[in-house]
Amino acid sequence: MAALLVATAVVGLAAAVAGAAAGPRLRTPLTVGLTVAACATGFAVAARVLATGGVVRFHTDHLLPLAGLTLRLDRFGALFVAVSAVVGVCALVFRLGYDGHGLSSRTASAVLPLFVTTLLLVPAAADVTTFLFLWESMAVTSLLLVLADHRRRAEVQSAGQWYAVMTQAGAAAILVGLVLLATRSGGQSFTVIAAAAPHLAPWIRSAAFLLVVAGFASKAGAVPLHVWLPRAHAEASGPVSALMSAAMVNLGIYGILRVGFGMLRGGPAWWWLVVMAVGALSALFGALHSATASDLKRLLAHSTTDNVGLVLLGVGASGLFASTGHPSLALLALVAALLHVAFHAVFKGCLFLAAGSIQQATGTRDLDALGGLLHRMPVTGTIFLIGGAGMAALPVFCGFVSEWLLLQSMLHGLPAADPAVAVAMPVGVGVLALTGGLAAFTFVKAAGIGLLGLPRTEAAAQAREVRASMSVGAGALAMLCVLLGVAPFTVIPAVAGAARTVSGIRAPAPLSRGWQLDLPGVHSVLAPGLLAAALALTVGAVALVRRRLEPGPVRVVEAWGCGRELQTANMEYTATSFGEPLTRVFDDVLQPSHDVDVNHVAESRYYVEAATVHLSLDDAFERRLYDPANRSLRRWGAAARTVPNGSIHRYLAFGMVALVLVLVVVA
Amino acid sequence: MRLRTLLRHTRIRAVTVEPPGPGAPAVEESAGRNRGSLQLRHVDAGSCNGCEMEITSAFSPVYDAERFGIRLEASPRHCDGLLVTGPVTRNMADPLRKTHAAVPEPAVVVALGDCARDCGVFRGAYGVEGAVGDVLPVDLEIPGCPPHPAAIVRALRGLAGT
Repeated sequence: MAALLVATAVVGLAAAVAGAAAGPRLRTPLTVGLTVAACATGFAVAARVLATGGVVRFHTDHLLPLAGLTLRLDRFGALFVAVSAVVGVCALVFRLGYDGHGLSSRTASAVLPLFVTTLLLVPAAADVTTFLFLWESMAVTSLLLVLADHRRRAEVQSAGQWYAVMTQAGAAAILVGLVLLATRSGGQSFTVIAAAAPHLAPWIRSAAFLLVVAGFASKAGAVPLHVWLPRAHAEASGPVSALMSAAMVNLGIYGILRVGFGMLRGGPAWWWLVVMAVGALSALFGALHSATASDLKRLLAHSTTDNVGLVLLGVGASGLFASTGHPSLALLALVAALLHVAFHAVFKGCLFLAAGSIQQATGTRDLDALGGLLHRMPVTGTIFLIGGAGMAALPVFCGFVSEWLLLQSMLHGLPAADPAVAVAMPVGVGVLALTGGLAAFTFVKAAGIGLLGLPRTEAAAQAREVRASMSVGAGALAMLCVLLGVAPFTVIPAVAGAARTVSGIRAPAPLSRGWQLDLPGVHSVLAPGLLAAALALTVGAVALVRRRLEPGPVRVVEAWGCGRELQTANMEYTATSFGEPLTRVFDDVLQPSHDVDVNHVAESRYYVEAATVHLSLDDAFERRLYDPANRSLRRWGAAARTVPNGSIHRYLAFGMVALVLVLVVVA
Repeated sequence: MRLRTLLRHTRIRAVTVEPPGPGAPAVEESAGRNRGSLQLRHVDAGSCNGCEMEITSAFSPVYDAERFGIRLEASPRHCDGLLVTGPVTRNMADPLRKTHAAVPEPAVVVALGDCARDCGVFRGAYGVEGAVGDVLPVDLEIPGCPPHPAAIVRALRGLAGT
């Protein structure tokens, strides 16, 4: 098995070399083929580990100086490898047909396989050095891919800067946290840290946990460290944003769980209350921004923040249950959170790929410039609808199962004696309910404005269905979205195994008996298969009754438009106008700014030549937190510039002072 | 016993008003179909707004046509028919046809006022295409220039069967 794990890395590197060396015609098929092979071997190892519960180990002293490279894949890591592999295969198949965005350049062709390979290997890292090496490789390669199109669009540069700063700050926090743990435990291997962690001083454990959570939360895109996410995920090309949103973001969750549960073995209740608070804030904030966004990919990126928030809510609930002595609920919440990680990857990957198809076909991602795409791109439109239904957590689609499990675990924590649990759980349930509603609103907006109605621009009217490979890549994820929603019991044993491995909880896990899902300890069952059958039967029966009741021909008339002669797309709802009531209700958070410019005709002010409306929504955290920080940094930078003024005497004096200080400290 | 009373009350209506009276034109087949509920979309095809004043009055608290199950609706998709006033001007002929097409079949057309019936004083004017009957098949005419609100209510009651 270790050989297969190594093969994953070797094939991935070979793909990168092929991307760098091959000519422009062979480049794409060669890299895609080899990277898909790497994903397949990675998936094979992960599936084997998940099925048998074994551990795959690999160590070499040569690849990294001093420490060597150590890989150890257990069931928990294997779950994330499997998710990354599935998303990776679909995104790469999609990439075969996708062009533009600078993805065909030599650099991008070499970096994309590297990015996918690091996504596959990060969950297998077994010591601090290996982990940080792979983590940083992942950050750098993804940054390069975001920047692939930087020459042509200024927004890409800005997105790259935000992403670079946030990911490096996060990596620094993780570095400090992990090094703190490693130095105090006397070894840098994760198993050594896990063995020593219970005996560490509480403040070290708490400090390390908070640092690591901050670092991983910035990668996961949790509020308030989310500012890079809507920029980078929106500006990246279709397959890259799918990989980032569906696979890379998961690794932030992986890190929090690996350190919080796997190494520190849980902790005081307040740790997990912090995680829950971050999760609740992210879920609400992300859902609200995605409900009011009019840029298709920004909408999806904000929804990623929303879903990461829900996962963190589950993770926090699980830790809280574990620390207050409810192991079976803790396991249930953790299974729900992990299941949501996997299912979010499926539907968000599907949505980002479909959004990439739409962007390629129309040249825009502005919902207000789309419309009527379901008729012109029926396959992509259907794929988008399925993914959106998953995002809105509608029954029979996969998002429903995980959110239902999350709700069950939090609902059944209610009759708790512990005040923290008794307060946190109802709040969590409320957050889940509100974000569920907002996600449904978002789905209606994205599908209704983008796919239905009249095309709002010539580009949308001229849209043609995209190449088959793109539809296959996105369609595979759409199919998974339905299959996993109808038959979640196929993956629940694997997810439960992963949750047990990382948390060490020995409570009974959610069981699947036949078509139904039993939750131990909370007396609740879910039978998504029966639900789907009942739904299909009802739809069939209604269709039959309607046909019986309404004989005769159907009269087709044009849509009712108040009898006006000319119906144009200008009379339709736009994404902005659809979200406007919500913007108004939540104007404290969204801070909409509204600017109307009216140009009058030169001869008379009674005639208007053109009117322009500028609408923008502010990110409250960006305005209150990041803008002041940026301003003060700029001030400090300007102040620091006066220190080195070019005078050689001053520099000699600096050297002298530094030398004296060093001597004083050493003496 | 109680169930039977309940079922009986679903069938009978407690009408506490006078019957429509001898002046009401009865449109038997549509009255049978509408059974106490008549939703109309009002189209002003070029009226001088005299008829509109009387329609407003007919649906005001004084004459209150709504107590007979007659309502003016915003969308023709929800309607049983059209209530058309005025001669059909050239600009309104197509919108009128489109509105008629938007009503589910069979759509009742009521021509309200003398102008709607035969163009009235506007007959032969350059902007007039014709009476409502020249554009759409008319089911019920309400004469008057303008018709009295009581006459409007009486005529529509005949159509609604109340």
